[in-house]
This record gives sequence, C-alpha cells and structure tokens, in this order.
Amino acid sequence: MHHVVLEHWSRGSSPLHRRDPRAKFGALLVFLVVLATAHRSLPLLSVALMALLAGVLVWGRIPLLGALARATVVLPFTLVFAGVCWAAGDPARGLALLLKSYLSALAVLTVVSTTPLPLLLRGLETAGVPRFLLMVAQFLYRYLFVISEEAQHMRVAARSRGGATRDLATQPARFRAAAGALAVLFARSYARAGGIHRAMLARGFLGHFRALGSLDFRGSDAAFLVTASLAPILVRAVIERMA
Amino acid sequence: MEAVHIYDGFLSTPVWAAMDAAAAPAVGYIVRRAQRGFDDSRVPLLGVMGAFVFAAQMINFPVGVGTSGHLVGGALLACTLGPAAASVVMCAIIAIQALVFQDGGILALGANLVNMALVGVLAGYLPFYLWGETRWRNLAIFSGGALSVMVSAMLALAELLFSGVPMPGSMLGVSLGLFAVSALLEGAITLAVVQALEAIQPGFIRIPAAGRSFARGAVGLAAVLLAAVGFLFASAAPDGIERLGLLTGAAHSRTVIRSPLAGYELSFLQTPWVRKAGAGLAGVGLIYGACLLIGRGVARRRSA
Repeated sequence: MHHVVLEHWSRGSSPLHRRDPRAKFGALLVFLVVLATAHRSLPLLSVALMALLAGVLVWGRIPLLGALARATVVLPFTLVFAGVCWAAGDPARGLALLLKSYLSALAVLTVVSTTPLPLLLRGLETAGVPRFLLMVAQFLYRYLFVISEEAQHMRVAARSRGGATRDLATQPARFRAAAGALAVLFARSYARAGGIHRAMLARGFLGHFRALGSLDFRGSDAAFLVTASLAPILVRAVIERMA
Repeated sequence: MEAVHIYDGFLSTPVWAAMDAAAAPAVGYIVRRAQRGFDDSRVPLLGVMGAFVFAAQMINFPVGVGTSGHLVGGALLACTLGPAAASVVMCAIIAIQALVFQDGGILALGANLVNMALVGVLAGYLPFYLWGETRWRNLAIFSGGALSVMVSAMLALAELLFSGVPMPGSMLGVSLGLFAVSALLEGAITLAVVQALEAIQPGFIRIPAAGRSFARGAVGLAAVLLAAVGFLFASAAPDGIERLGLLTGAAHSRTVIRSPLAGYELSFLQTPWVRKAGAGLAGVGLIYGACLLIGRGVARRRSA
C-alpha cells in the first residue's frame, strides 16, 4: 500500500529527514508557488526543477525511481485534460498542465517521504492550523490501515458467499448487500472509536497528544529554509534570463 | 466514478489564492463549531469515521454491467455526525489525500476543501435538515447525497473554467452528464446505507434539532444551489459577466479602492514574475497573519 511505503521512507535517516518539518513545508510552498506562476520557457524550467528535486531525493536517500513512479498518480486525470487542451488547439497549455501537476506531486512526495506524518502535522499545528482538525487527521491516518483491512475482510467474506456473481437479475440484491456491508463497517468503526477513546482515557489522555521531544527550529533549519527557497527562485530567474 | 480532486498546476494563481483565502477562515469557523458542545471523545470518533470513508471506497456498488461506484461520504457523515463534524472529517480526509496520496494539490487544497468539505457537505445536509422528519425523508436523504456530489463537481468545473482550462461545450456537457450519473448513484448509496444503518441501530441517524429554522435552511439551500449554478454559468461565459459589469457600471468602480497588492504586483521589484510571485506570497502571508490574529482574538474573547 502506498502509505506503508511512504511511512517506511519517512522513518529513514538523512540530513533531510532531520530538518524541521516547518522548514521543509515552507520550502515546499515556495517551490509550488514558483512553479505555479511560471509561464515562459516552462519545459526547460521543468527539467531544471526536476533535476533539483531528484538531487534532493537522492540527498534524502529516497529510492529515486520509486518516487518518480509514485508521483505518476496524478497523470491519468491530467492526461485527460492535456488531451482536451491538445484537441482544442492549445498543446502548450496541455504540456504545462502535465509538467506542473507532475512536478508539484513529486515535490509534495519529496517532503512527505522525508518527514513522518505526525511530525509534519505537529509542525503545522505550531504554524497555526487548528489542533482539533490535525488531531482528527492523525487518528484518520492511524486507523486508515485498520479499517481498510476490515473492509478487505468483509469483501473477501462476501465474495466467498457468492457476492461477486455478475448476474443482472441479482443486481438490486447485490446493491442492498453492499449497503448492508457498509452499514456494518460503519457500526464497527463507531464502536471501535468508543473503545479507542476508553483505552486512551485509561492511559491518562487529557484531550491532546503529548509529544515525546520537542520541535525546535535550529540555525541549520533556517539555513535549509533559505537555501531551499532560493534554489527554485534562482533556477527560474536564470532560465528566464537566458530565454 | 470519483469526486473531483483538483491538482496543482490546473488552477490559475488568482483562483487558487482566492480559494485558499476563502477556505482558511471557513475551516477555522467550522472546526470551532464542531468542537462546541462536544467532549474529547469526538476526536477519535471523527478520525475513525474518516478512516471509514476511506475504507468504504473498497466496497463496490454494482451499477449495470461491468461498472461500479462507491460511497463518497459527505452526506452520510452529515446525517450521522452532524454537519460541522462531517465537514471537519471531510477536511481531514482531503488534507490526508493531498499529503499522503498526492490526490489533490497543496496550493489547490483551499479549492478542494471548499468544493467537497464545506459546500459539498452543506449541500448534502440541507435537504435532510429541511425534510428529515417529514414523509419526504427518504427523498431528502437521496437528494442530499446527489446534491453533495453535484455541487462539488460544478464548483470544481467552474474553478477550472475560470482558470482558463479550455473545455469545449460538448465536453462540458458530457462531464456534467457523467457527474449527474455519479451524483444519482451517491444519492442511492447514501439512502441504502442509511436504511441499513437504521435496521442495525436507529440511534445512528441524528434527527435535526427541534429548534431548527425552516426559513434559514431553505435560504441556505437556495444560496448553495444558486452559487453552484451561477458560478458555473459565469465561468462558462465570462463575456456575459463583463458585459453585465459594463452595463451596471461596476467595471468602472474597480479603481476606486487601490490595494497595495493591486494586480498582484509589488512595485519595488523589477522582473515581472518575481513581482507577481512576491505579491502572491505576500498576499498568502497577509491572509495567514489575519487568520492567526482573528483566531487569537476569538480564543481570548472566549476565555475572558
């Protein structure tokens, strides 16, 4: 599963993994804005930014090909629109959509695969995102796998009882069966949440997560933020000067 | 069939910046609303229900030969957890999708949040709020599910059109048709799941509070529908809006208020794109600062 691989990557160790999540997220935003506002000589700029990201991925000891392949999840949707642009006589815009969406996804992947999600969310909390929302996101991420596995079990159970017959006459029944399965999954998730909360209370939960160790924004993080923000800006300035 | 996630690179800078600016305070408001009157036990509940919506994508609903759909979830959550909590869950889902699964962009996060988590959930809840206790109840749940998907899709299409993504009329028609089909499917799934849930345990469905105001709900529903349809028409025919602006004289009043970031340019930087990007960043920074200040202010007033 995608997020299991990401989880594995994000627990690695490299100079990039050790940077403060806020520094990485700040640099990511600068990169995305530089890319989103680019119009002139976009193909060349994309190649340069791609090289930049590849360098960062290698520096963070992330498998380069694996990361490049994972960022292609945006392509099916983008290709449709690129095709429409091409058919509408605007191939340049189609190419821009492809390049921008792929590079943006790769940039996000670079940050997420070098930062454990709990740390990233904590960084966002100190940057002012509502804590309640981030706690919900944390729980969601933690139980994603558990509930998905439960859904998978239910699907296997339904198949083994003949739930996968492709007979038009049984379609309404299958529709109702799927609704019943979802309702059961809903009820189980609801009950599980109650159990989780009781277990947390029993362990002294006071309404917020306590972090082991604090986030501190050191000089090296500031240096990283400045360098990583300036890099895409300089790359773009140089390329647009040349063009 | 899928809800529309907009990726980075699709929206033009004014559109994503405006949607981010709109989403930030709205999300802050909805989070406060969801927190009000609930204890901490809601936090694991909302998170696990978010995981449920993710997992629900694995259970396929057959529609015709060979095709199948799955639950999107906004309306179902609104009927069971209440609208504000459902919005928060959808926000968390969209944020996790953007961060972990690269499904939806980061700069486009504001647009996706507004489309699906805020307006989508509201559109999914209002029919239930209005007619949840009358004999039209099943129809209300069905149309809630359908509306939540349709309204999100129309807003997303409008944002793409505003950003200049070319979409010939035929393509627009085809995609609206496809969205209508997936909206009807979502309505059917939502209704079927609600009925199955009631068979298990009736308490899961939250009947809207007794003190509800029909007028407010109706106005809200009308506003949501008008906004979605109007936004889409405006984006498909921007010339019409411009002509309207000229006719009413609104186009000339544009220069009356001169903001320091007018036209997204700071004057002291030379290269045009550096100016644009700088102005964009400064704008985002300003919005961020304003949200932080408002948040602090509200928190202080509450604790005082």
